[in-house]
Amino acid sequence: MTPALSISHLRKVYRRGTVAVEDISLSIPEGEFFGFLGPNGAGKSTTIHCVTGIAEPTSGKIEIFGIDAVKDYREARRLIGLCPQEFNVDIFATPRQIVDWMGGYFGMRAALRKERTDMLLERFDLIPHQKKSFRELSGGLKRRVVLARALIHDPKLIILDEPTAGVDVELRRVLWKYLQEINADGRTILLTSHYLEEVERLCRQVAIVNKGRVVREGTKDEMAGGPGGLENAYLVATGAEPDHVPGAA
Amino acid sequence: MGINWIGLYTIIRREVSRMWRVPVQAFVAPWISALLFIFIFGSVVGGRIATIGGHRYLEFVLPGILMMNIVNAAFLQSSSAIYFSRFVRFVEEILVAPLSYAEMIAGSLSVVVLRASVTGVGILLMGIAFGASSIESWPLFIFWIVSVSTVFGLLGIIVGLWSKNFEQLNMPVVFFLTPLSMVGGVFNTVAMLPEWLRWIAWANPFFYFINGVRGAMIGVDETPPGLGEGLTLLLLVVLGGTVWRMYSKGYGLRE
Repeated sequence: MTPALSISHLRKVYRRGTVAVEDISLSIPEGEFFGFLGPNGAGKSTTIHCVTGIAEPTSGKIEIFGIDAVKDYREARRLIGLCPQEFNVDIFATPRQIVDWMGGYFGMRAALRKERTDMLLERFDLIPHQKKSFRELSGGLKRRVVLARALIHDPKLIILDEPTAGVDVELRRVLWKYLQEINADGRTILLTSHYLEEVERLCRQVAIVNKGRVVREGTKDEMAGGPGGLENAYLVATGAEPDHVPGAA
Repeated sequence: MGINWIGLYTIIRREVSRMWRVPVQAFVAPWISALLFIFIFGSVVGGRIATIGGHRYLEFVLPGILMMNIVNAAFLQSSSAIYFSRFVRFVEEILVAPLSYAEMIAGSLSVVVLRASVTGVGILLMGIAFGASSIESWPLFIFWIVSVSTVFGLLGIIVGLWSKNFEQLNMPVVFFLTPLSMVGGVFNTVAMLPEWLRWIAWANPFFYFINGVRGAMIGVDETPPGLGEGLTLLLLVVLGGTVWRMYSKGYGLRE
């Protein structure tokens, strides 16, 4: 079966010579809920940027459902929805405009855009805020808008780069529930998060990256099953000092 | 994969929406500036100057005033749109979407031509109010409005992609657009200049734009037939190629 996302020997060197991704290879099967973990600067966001077209890979190959993400980028991008870590939004636009425009960029007709925009604004409790400008919204509301924007075209592969950072517990739970639902519907999800509890709750497969390389990959149960659970596995894989590892002997 | 018409139209919708957020900056400012020029040269100075080529002085300067404002409108529209989208990073919305470079560029330029045209129509109406607007050749007039606004739209994209800060974004207006348009024959013919200075007019691309639109409006044309049109088309090809290359390389866009 063709994987939803296949990354082979990805390397990314920025113009000033900084190596952000040394050599990352991953394969995420269709329908998977995949956790992508690592410390700040490990190369997670850069990898995501290379997959989605925000950054250009220096070398390596990326395929989305078997479609080359560089050569056939337009076909590949139709299949991806990205919820980025930072708010890359026209701050003077309203939530309704932001979500509707994104649907337009993906070629959705007006009637379908309206239907999906209404549904997503309702789902994320944004209807009372739909006519405010983005900059007037609280951090949690802003996060909901970028999430709704990522989902407008009903993508097969959803990439969430720390989607619950700065979000209150209530919204986090709403979001988890929604993600579990769409994953159960067959959508593939790649999630990065610094909340290991979130990864433990949602993901079935996990990869840990450090210094631009995958340092450990496996099922969540394998990683969380040892002493200290997923946190222990994460700290060991990323080279943390043993006496900083909770639960370690 | 065919053209993403809805995506292209959405880029236009978004940019029009952005433009309408600043109507004073986009339209009122150039119209007031043009009105002051028309008033000064029509009622104050114009009455003391003899006709040029059988036309009142206001009729002679109106095409230049029109072209100066179209150039500014086109450049500011595309440069600020690109720079702002990079500055707050919502350019990434376009980068992650299934849009080709041609669609991205065409979307930006469509709004450039729209803004320049609305600015131009407003100035034409003011000219009518002062009894000075006339169009001898509509096809040529439309050619000059569309081609010159596209040239400066492309230049604005290049500057918008290149700029690292607002200072750099404004530099071309201060050091290039305003001075060259002022000495590009808005207020005088080449024949009015001393002979040793005439090369400045011939070397200034703005002279061909102003002269071209003046030819289309009142029939006063100082260049050999086709020269201005040819140079403008050449500029379109060179700037269009440069913008295409910058987009395909991700210059200023992709990390």
